[in-house]
Amino acid sequence: MQKLPILWILIAVLALPESLIAHHGRGATYDMKTRVTLKGIVSRIDWRNPHVVIYMDVKGADGSVMTWGFENAGVSQLAQAGYHRNTLTIGQEITAIVNPAANGGPTAIVVKVILADGSEIMSRETGANPAN
Amino acid sequence: MRGRIVSLMLLVLPLAVAAYAQDDRQRVVTRYEANVGDKKFDPRDLSGIWTLTRNDHSLGTPAPPLTPAGAAAKAGRRADTPGAFGNAPWYACNPMGFPRLLNDDEPMELVMLPNRILQLFQWEHRVRVLWTDGRNVPSGEHLENLGPAWYGHSVARWNGNTLVVNTVGLDERAWLDNQGNPKSFRARIEETWRRVDANTLELQLTLYDPEYYTAPYVGSKKTYKRMPDDAITYFGWYGLYAGITEGICAPMNEVEGYNKEFRDPGRAAKP
Repeated sequence: MQKLPILWILIAVLALPESLIAHHGRGATYDMKTRVTLKGIVSRIDWRNPHVVIYMDVKGADGSVMTWGFENAGVSQLAQAGYHRNTLTIGQEITAIVNPAANGGPTAIVVKVILADGSEIMSRETGANPAN
Repeated sequence: MRGRIVSLMLLVLPLAVAAYAQDDRQRVVTRYEANVGDKKFDPRDLSGIWTLTRNDHSLGTPAPPLTPAGAAAKAGRRADTPGAFGNAPWYACNPMGFPRLLNDDEPMELVMLPNRILQLFQWEHRVRVLWTDGRNVPSGEHLENLGPAWYGHSVARWNGNTLVVNTVGLDERAWLDNQGNPKSFRARIEETWRRVDANTLELQLTLYDPEYYTAPYVGSKKTYKRMPDDAITYFGWYGLYAGITEGICAPMNEVEGYNKEFRDPGRAAKP
């Protein structure tokens, strides 16, 4: 337990808040100091403006399934970065690294998505995804 | 030992902040840096797809004091704060209006025609017409008869290599900026646009609105960069779908699908 505060400081340093002033404001929706890694199956894709939302079923340690939704940039911005509505498909296994909702609920904003072959897509870290 | 680690963290923190600030800026720059080799340009040809170099949904300077009428017009408007959403009309898919849309994040295209310039905005998929055929902006009875418009009525003329655009007849329901500042129907907004090199447009905007402001509201200079072809192409194909795309705000998507179903639940009080 002694190491926990240091761990949180590390997480805070590695995941500093970024500007989240999109044309469609999110206010303080997300805890940008925290990152969560979700492993699961894509269950629904809302490919629409103002922000694309991808839902995935994540199995917990106890076997229960929680559905998470994480948002992305808008359709035009994702398309200009080379992504389309079939880039991810229902049933596909993915790992999503996200900043979770501030209230602890199962919604989030994407940091990046890692595919089964290890490739990273829709990353806000590389600049390829202008989600803001 | 633990103290040392914490000290190290405190030392690293500012460096990490700087690195992320760099990344944030880089996210915009990578979208147009492919153009740096282009040198040739016609200063009176503004055609191209352009994007602001920084996100700032205001005029970039503090507003002058409001008149009592201006303060009354602003009453009830709540800007976003870090802890709460405001009540900006665009959250319900109402038009951002001019000049708020001009200061938005997504790119816009300028199309030069013989008698007008079209400004196509990706967000809202909106067209603004800047008349260059010598007409004057509507005034007096004509303006009263036309009435307010979300994007007003705009006339452009060249002063040397500076394009001067005047817009009148704006709808008062649209906010001037993300702070909820007002503008009256009788306001005039003057923009000056200059193409300073092949890849750079500079804009300066001034609001003349004695009804609502005690002085002209002079905005800061804003810079737009030209988007390279590969940034305006879908999946490497320079076909029908390249260019400004459909950033339409549809209430069934925006209000029902995103606000109510996704965004707002994430902001609810902690269970």
